[in-house]
Amino acid sequence: MTDSLIEVRALRKEYRSGIGRPPIVALDGIDFTVRAGELFGLLGPNGAGKTTTVKIVLGLTAATNGSAFVSGLPVSNPESRRRAGYLPEGHKIPGYLTARQAMTIFGRMSGMSTEDIKLRIPELLERVRLSQWIDMRVKKFSKGMTQRLGLACALVHRPNVLLLDEPTDGVDPVGRREIRDLLRDEAKNGTAVLLNSHLLSEIELTCDRVAVLRNGKVAAEGTIDELTRKSAKYKMVVAPVDDSLVSMFRETGAIVDRVNGHLVLSVDDLQHLNTLVDGLRARGSILSELAPVRSTLEDVFVDLVREVHSERSEESTEPPQ
Amino acid sequence: MKVIWSNIEDVWREAAARWTLVAYFFLSTIFIIIFASAINLDIVDGALAGAKLFGKQVEMRGNEMSIEKLVLGFESGFSAVLYFLCTFLAIFATAHLVPRLQEKGTIDLYLSRPVSRTKLLLSRYFAGLLLAGSNVVYLLGAIWLIVLWKTHVVHPRFLAGGLVILFVIATLLAFAFLVGVITSSTAVSIMTSYGLFFFSLMLAAHDRIAAAVSHEWQAWVIQTLYWVIPKTAELGTAVVAFVSGNALPKEMNAMLNPQPFLTTAAFGVVSLILAVWRFHKNEF
Repeated sequence: MTDSLIEVRALRKEYRSGIGRPPIVALDGIDFTVRAGELFGLLGPNGAGKTTTVKIVLGLTAATNGSAFVSGLPVSNPESRRRAGYLPEGHKIPGYLTARQAMTIFGRMSGMSTEDIKLRIPELLERVRLSQWIDMRVKKFSKGMTQRLGLACALVHRPNVLLLDEPTDGVDPVGRREIRDLLRDEAKNGTAVLLNSHLLSEIELTCDRVAVLRNGKVAAEGTIDELTRKSAKYKMVVAPVDDSLVSMFRETGAIVDRVNGHLVLSVDDLQHLNTLVDGLRARGSILSELAPVRSTLEDVFVDLVREVHSERSEESTEPPQ
Repeated sequence: MKVIWSNIEDVWREAAARWTLVAYFFLSTIFIIIFASAINLDIVDGALAGAKLFGKQVEMRGNEMSIEKLVLGFESGFSAVLYFLCTFLAIFATAHLVPRLQEKGTIDLYLSRPVSRTKLLLSRYFAGLLLAGSNVVYLLGAIWLIVLWKTHVVHPRFLAGGLVILFVIATLLAFAFLVGVITSSTAVSIMTSYGLFFFSLMLAAHDRIAAAVSHEWQAWVIQTLYWVIPKTAELGTAVVAFVSGNALPKEMNAMLNPQPFLTTAAFGVVSLILAVWRFHKNEF
């Protein structure tokens, strides 16, 4: 028995690009799982396949190969969406509906009883700070309000799986924090949350685990801590710092930057770092601080995306225009 | 049932908010008012002494025409007008249902619910048909009541004629849904549905057209098309024949044979099945 509420196995998606042309591969065999109570972030540059993945998980698009399961059911079964909530990017809740009407319609479509919906609506609108606008038409809502209502509609039927595409888009900083808190509360109650966002800081602040998609593949996956620790950079405070020391370090293959009187070293591994420290001691230099420099998620993301760009440049045989 | 109810609520709220419902019933009301003011009957001691339609004296041919015959004549004539009016208004008011559902950002919200695509599309179809049906009931019911009020003649066949009109609307709506699922365009759905309606009217003369074409294969195409697409001309005549009962010539009553109904129903069912199939295939 597994507690995975979202499970994606060897998922592949190809789009036809016209007669005689090879298909475009949007997803090239990706795997990941999201467990109950986990906040999972899906990252990647534009066109990496994030939205395609979410749409396959919801049965909006069919996979070319591979399989996806929600709450243990294949996504081709509409029942897999019984307890799944979805907030699409750029969603359009019909503007002619009020917040109450929209939530009633979507709640009913999820199988809720009228009595349950009546109890649930005020409770949820209170949580997303829309109580005052319960009977106002959605077309009069600001972008942030529409986004918060979209979240309320996704939560109306008490889902145990939440898929959110740019949930904080257009929301003010206070609203963002509230949404983060709300998502954490949902996760604490056992909901599996899949978050798809371009806002890396948002993912970093919210998610327990992330996967970075690149060229339709999972380029990196792990906790934020694991991903940001992978970069082997160290801050070294040493005296004296002179050019001969820097040259000695560079001869070993380390990348050395002098920053505000200290050194930032990029090394291959811990063995390499220890070699540098040995050399330093042999010279009689005094080491007063050696600490790992943690990358931000943005650093990791940018490095991964840059790798793609450089790969593409190398592959390209087109002369520059 | 909850899905059907949700779609009915959604379709009606949309029709109300976008003024479609108001325009739909406003146009119908104008027609009813014109009809109510157009008929002036002069009834003396329960007998019809004279009648005016749009200010013109109706030919009484001495004292032969009874009030019942006059009502039958009015209602038969108006049922033909209502056939066109109801069908046109219905397509105009409902052809947007699928294209708007398939809009990016909207379809995701509906399909992410635990509802099969078949159920979603058919619920939408039923909701649209209910909206169109309500207008048919409103138009025919109001006119029937006006006639009843002015003449005290009860003629229920006029109301039952609405069923034939609704049958044609159901067929054309199925076609509009098919076009909507394929193109996601309201304009194309309306144009093609109206086009089908008029093309079918022309094909009522299929035998004469087939005889006039120069190649046999062209004649075959004309005859095949006639059998495949809805028989809007025959069904229009059937509405009048149905309302008139036995008061019409035999040729007109002959339109009440099952053939136009069966082939039109087959077209509607196939259109709806294709629409559902294509809706399943669509990727959003």
